[in-house]
Amino acid sequence: MKEVAYYPGCSLHSSSELYDLQCRMVFSNLGIELKEIDDWNCCGATAAAKTDDFLAIALPARNLGIADATGLSEIVIPCSSCYSRTLVSQKRLLCDSELKHKINAELSRKVEAKIKVSSILDLLMPKLLSGELAAKLNKKLAGLKVACYYGCLLTRFPCDISVDDNIENPQSMEKICEELGAEPLDWGYKTDCCGASASVNDTDQSLLLMSYILKDAVSRGADCIVTTCPLCQMNLDAHQVRVMQKHGIKKSLPVYFITELIGMSMGFDPYEMQIDRHFVDAISLLKEKGLV
Amino acid sequence: MPVKKLQCDMPKSVQFMNEVAERSGQNIYACYQCRRCAAGCPVGMQTMVTPDRLIRLITMGETEEALNNLLVWKCVACYTCGARCPNNIQTARITETLKQMAKEAGITPLVERTADFNAAFMQSAGHLGRFNELEGMGIYETKTMLKDLKKGDIKSIINEVKTQSDLGLAMISKKRLHIGIERVKNISEIKALYKKADASKKEDRK
Ligand code: SF4
Ligand code: SF4
Repeated sequence: MKEVAYYPGCSLHSSSELYDLQCRMVFSNLGIELKEIDDWNCCGATAAAKTDDFLAIALPARNLGIADATGLSEIVIPCSSCYSRTLVSQKRLLCDSELKHKINAELSRKVEAKIKVSSILDLLMPKLLSGELAAKLNKKLAGLKVACYYGCLLTRFPCDISVDDNIENPQSMEKICEELGAEPLDWGYKTDCCGASASVNDTDQSLLLMSYILKDAVSRGADCIVTTCPLCQMNLDAHQVRVMQKHGIKKSLPVYFITELIGMSMGFDPYEMQIDRHFVDAISLLKEKGLV
Repeated sequence: MPVKKLQCDMPKSVQFMNEVAERSGQNIYACYQCRRCAAGCPVGMQTMVTPDRLIRLITMGETEEALNNLLVWKCVACYTCGARCPNNIQTARITETLKQMAKEAGITPLVERTADFNAAFMQSAGHLGRFNELEGMGIYETKTMLKDLKKGDIKSIINEVKTQSDLGLAMISKKRLHIGIERVKNISEIKALYKKADASKKEDRK
């Protein structure tokens, strides 16, 4: 079993703990053990970036120091917001040694910022390309039309950080879904913002942004949306009823985590994966497609 | 049509422009107003001030307007503007900087809830080391409702209570509400970082 350091972040330890469980299940089946780093802290998410330039770098830096101390070469961060903030912090620390010293003065485990920071797709893609993913699949998700949703933070960064995928029209999630036997759709809102960071304080704006995404997905004939980010998932799932009411959308769409579709194809039990904890019923569609 | 006269006080406006550029790390001088950023900004239709306009306000020395317009408070930090800008200008970083500068200048934000939510989030994250949804929401709701109460805006309060209790009930029924409290063991490190952040802010102000 290969060991990879793992930062769950606050969301995977609270409202989206089902995603934490699913990540462990799926990666363990792929021969990767997720080693949760100890005593990690909140990365500060968008709130730190908007209020405090120092904490926005320093909070993820502490986690990076803990990760460096594990001696592992790679850390995976499933939440897009945590992933983005940690990468941005690392990038800054590497080119600003004065700031790094200032932060390290307060840390017991000093940050070197040398560990490779990966998204969940960064970890999955090599498994897809090597055929190891295919070897673990035993059920085709035939006839499932999915709209792969990346959101903002997997491909766009507020500083120079390059990504392997096309930033305007990424394809990695589509490739994974094809391998599962599902039908990924071509659509226009896969990297648009769902407004998760504004859902509490600027609710109408967030509902409007979600309406664009849902309308496009519905009009392309999607059965569901699939995402890797717990904040996007929560936003599009928990508030979907309100978006539909306010913006006249007739059809609701389950919003799956990528781990749920992979897990279904691996033959895991949907209840064991806690897919029944979604706001928009996510089990019926699986039954309809003969997958449960 | 009457043309609004720009109040252009050279040294001050240049100072302001330089400060925004330095603190945000963005080369705003390179903006040639092509508006690729505006075309992709998802909130532009609501804010009217699009990223290109914001940069223009800064370079023209319209400091008051630049510090407190809808884009500053409604920017969702989607980074679309920066990804498409031919000059690599990240307007999201500029809106983040302007929010902080507005606070330092004692300006009441156009969208107060945004500032209150961010503050509540940071308070909760600093207190326990991890963001606690119940605590963070508690701090935020108390603050906004008190403000609404002072304004006599009962409708907003009723709306907010209804929305939050609907969501809360849904979260309970889906077992998505987390009651346990998680905290960082070595919380003194977090406190030290927060303290350092305060100190460097005071230094900046000097
Ligand atoms: S895309 Fe860049 S250069 Fe063009 S208007 Fe926007 S900020 Fe200015
Ligand atoms: S980051 Fe802000 S300003 Fe830029 S496109 Fe997104 S919402 Fe608009």
